[in-house]
Amino acid sequence: MRDKPTDKIRIEEDIEELMVRYRPIITFRVRKAIGAQSTDCDDLVSEILSQVMEKIKSGEFRGESSLGTFVYTVTSRRIIDYIREKTKVMKYAPEPQPFPDPQETLEQREMSEKVQEALGKLKPKYQNVLYLYYYQELSRDEVASKMGISPRKVSELVNYALKLLRKEIKL
Amino acid sequence: MRKCKFEDMIDGYLLNRLSERDKELFEEHYFNCPSCFEKLQARDLIINTIKNHSEVLVQEEVRSKVPVAARVKHELAAFLNPRQLALAGITALIFVAVIIAVVPRPGNNIPAFILTDTETVRGSSITLISPVIDMSQVPSFFEWKKLGDHVEYQISIFNHELLWKTTTKENRVTLPDEVRAKMLPGEKYSWQVKAFGPDGTLIAVSSRVQFLVSKQ
Repeated sequence: MRDKPTDKIRIEEDIEELMVRYRPIITFRVRKAIGAQSTDCDDLVSEILSQVMEKIKSGEFRGESSLGTFVYTVTSRRIIDYIREKTKVMKYAPEPQPFPDPQETLEQREMSEKVQEALGKLKPKYQNVLYLYYYQELSRDEVASKMGISPRKVSELVNYALKLLRKEIKL
Repeated sequence: MRKCKFEDMIDGYLLNRLSERDKELFEEHYFNCPSCFEKLQARDLIINTIKNHSEVLVQEEVRSKVPVAARVKHELAAFLNPRQLALAGITALIFVAVIIAVVPRPGNNIPAFILTDTETVRGSSITLISPVIDMSQVPSFFEWKKLGDHVEYQISIFNHELLWKTTTKENRVTLPDEVRAKMLPGEKYSWQVKAFGPDGTLIAVSSRVQFLVSKQ
């Protein structure tokens, strides 16, 4: 049976919504797996979205799991394939130079500047705890030992510092 | 608003501290939970900024210590007149000199590494051999000076976050292809080696050396 025009519009609307909702999530997952500077990120994300849409249209997604889990599975499988392909290619060819998207870099830079400004405004005790916990990657217990406070207090300081940052940069 | 139980995994995920199982669970979760994904993005931005612009925090850390010294000086000056202050200074110097002369010094000073608030180990430093300078291409192996037999080394490679970690009994490790694939020209990386004795005690730690993979 052919789709009625209204059904077609509905499917297109759903796909549009799907793109808007999942593109940033897939992008985040891909970047975490293959590195944010990789030139292949955007291509890989678009490819994953196309695969998801094709699978939905062909009825492969039957609603047995949530749509998020389905998209996550497609994404993870494609990342594993990509790393396998890349490993083979890397044996014979040099890595192409990274070519970051200037628009995106600009946006990220602006956000990062806001965060830097907010970090600079924090009280020294919050700055110290963020430096030890996130930059030096010390455990909660190690930070507590260095600062001479309890591990529970470390968590409180980190959480409050993050709250202040979010408030300052309106995240 | 009720807090999602997965929120506590955000730091662990971004700092690569989760087990493989928890990592997969959390990844599947943030594909389904817009609230956690939003928080994850925000935290990622904050951590990346701290990693790339730590000077904002380091300067403040140093600055925060200065007023304490200044305040002590100010308070002493208010409490004693200049003559009394000079006398107190000389007395303190004599006291320190006596302490140095009287207290026996150990022949061999071994550096101490603080592990947690209850553990401290003593040992020597590890000398890193390669890479310690900027590289024209992604290094295929990492090498350091051997400390002795029955020592297990833990090597960690970082970019903005922990990229790869492994253990070996050799003083050299070859980088797996999947890790090499993640290392890109123009990027800065750092690495560090920790040595563990047969009983699993940390006996030495290297400094964290940074290198750049130059653009061709």
